Amino acid sequence: MRRVLNTLRDGVGFDTLLVIVALTYLLLFAGLPLIYNVVISFQHVDIFSLGTLFHPSAGWENYTAIFTDPLARTVLVNTIVFTLASVALQFTLGFAVALFFDRQFPGAAWIRGLFLAGWVMPGLVVGVLWNWLLSGDFGVINYVLEALGIIDDPIFWRSDVDYSLFSVILANIWYGMPFNMILLSVGLAAIPDDLYEAAELDGANVWQRFWTITLPMMRATIGAVLALGIIFTLQQFDLFAAITSGGPAGSSTVAQYWSWQLSFREFDFGRGAVISVLMIVVVLAVALIYVRSTRAETRL
Amino acid sequence: MTPQIELIDVNKHYGSFHALKGIDVTIPKGQFVALVGPSGCGKSTLLRSIAGLESISGGTLKIAGEVMNKVPPRKRDLAMVFQSYALYPHLSVRDNLTYALRLRGVSKAERARAAEEVAAVIGLGALLDRRPAELSGGQRQRVAMGRAIIREPKAFLFDEPLSNLDASLRVRMRKEIRAIHDRLGATSVYVTHDQIEAMTMADHVVVLRAGVIEQQGPPLDLYARPVNRFVAGFIGSPAMNFVPATVVEGGGAVRLDAAGGAEVAVAGRVEGGRRVIAGIRPEHLDIVGADTPGAFALTVGAVEPTGSVTYVSSDDEPEILLVADGATRVRTGDRIHVAIAPERVHLFDPESEAALG
Repeated sequence: MRRVLNTLRDGVGFDTLLVIVALTYLLLFAGLPLIYNVVISFQHVDIFSLGTLFHPSAGWENYTAIFTDPLARTVLVNTIVFTLASVALQFTLGFAVALFFDRQFPGAAWIRGLFLAGWVMPGLVVGVLWNWLLSGDFGVINYVLEALGIIDDPIFWRSDVDYSLFSVILANIWYGMPFNMILLSVGLAAIPDDLYEAAELDGANVWQRFWTITLPMMRATIGAVLALGIIFTLQQFDLFAAITSGGPAGSSTVAQYWSWQLSFREFDFGRGAVISVLMIVVVLAVALIYVRSTRAETRL
Repeated sequence: MTPQIELIDVNKHYGSFHALKGIDVTIPKGQFVALVGPSGCGKSTLLRSIAGLESISGGTLKIAGEVMNKVPPRKRDLAMVFQSYALYPHLSVRDNLTYALRLRGVSKAERARAAEEVAAVIGLGALLDRRPAELSGGQRQRVAMGRAIIREPKAFLFDEPLSNLDASLRVRMRKEIRAIHDRLGATSVYVTHDQIEAMTMADHVVVLRAGVIEQQGPPLDLYARPVNRFVAGFIGSPAMNFVPATVVEGGGAVRLDAAGGAEVAVAGRVEGGRRVIAGIRPEHLDIVGADTPGAFALTVGAVEPTGSVTYVSSDDEPEILLVADGATRVRTGDRIHVAIAPERVHLFDPESEAALG
């Protein structure tokens, strides 16, 4: 007993203990729910059987139900469009702004910090903010577009099937851009100035310096930012809840929102879980890219 | 012939800070010029101004006869070796060497050939496929050299390229850099804080202090005829002894404030009674017999034998250092007699610190 206590205090036992604590936490609060989620995707679970541990098996029934659902195609397309458009523009704009602040003019760091104000706000607040901006009757965006003569009649962004997804994408780009910008700023700051000076003397113009120095030096950061961007975008829920609630007619429903609707609106937890399982697969693949790019970072 | 690099009354201001003050330097083609001075003297700023990495606030910079004041660095056709080497970490040695050629649109085959050639010159043939992170400090230094050589630029700029190497490698690279300079018939501007590097490598040394050129000329001229106390103290190792003294009647000698008021004959003509600073190089003081004409006595303070030479310092305040033969056997407290040739004694004005006589 004494020996056990000793090794716990200053031996291998202490290290083991720390690992066990972390592992237990992971298993209990991440592993188990994950596995349970996979399990109920093969079961019939409704509001009445939710409280019981064992549910009747459903085989692949939930899966076929999801894939044959008339909404499935829309949701798949919406999810892909939402994710790609959000990540692409968050990244591009974030990179552009990061490059801008990398010029280190007076106040650059301060103004860059202000950009984070958007990012630290809760998603629901951002959603409400954009609701006002996008409002069909009195929204600022319609007012500006009309004043500029771009449109004649107000667009009902949130309730028009052609614009509803676009509205959420717009809000999400605004919401996620500062995070991209900050991570990319850190990557840019890590590139030594004398590399640019050497390249300049070697005859590289601004574009050549960007393509041959900045981009390759940023590879690890870019990989990480894109992977995190995809993961965060697939997690985005608040904006949908606040701006369009997935509507109208499912025109702005994405996978994560559909999963929630199935589970907590229609109380079909089995089918809700199916979507979660499918998303886990995608996120795992992306996470793999993330891990690989952070590993490349340490090698550099 | 048109000088390769010409600086005419070049000034540089950073806000209210005047970093370079009226710099005039002319560098003929093929010359190796060292910019030397203590840190903060403006030597790196001057080099970066030539490169175009800093813009000059006033004056004219000409490269091969063309005014370059407003020309961006990439159009100046200069190659620079950085203190940090600034190798591209994501590129192999081969791609590092040929980066400039790639930008110029040189074909891949031609680039490969150029890389092989240069690698042979700098002795890196076997390492062409490595990344900079896989090289030692000395190898990185060579890649940085190679990257400059491959371009055949109008001039080479070196920014303390050896300061990150250990002492023995530094001595070797010193020779190699000079040898490559001679072989290529290149024009080089070399910044260093190490006066030995400047003396051993350069044809022409420019000594800077606080943004001002204190003196420039061939290394041995600077050593033999420093124009002021700063240059005298900066050039030469160990540094020159400075002893306050008074010129005796007639001006043929000075009476030192140290060494018991010994009189030392001088060649320079300075009026009697004037206060001066006598500059005596440690290597110009010889230990002699007591009856030698002109000899004066010192009490030995500290003795530092190195084998080849022995450093002997007097117990005066300030001490007088001399470099004696390695076989010298003296001990602390001994009385020794030393002498110096009159023409080797430098005299400086105590106020202006300018050389006298």
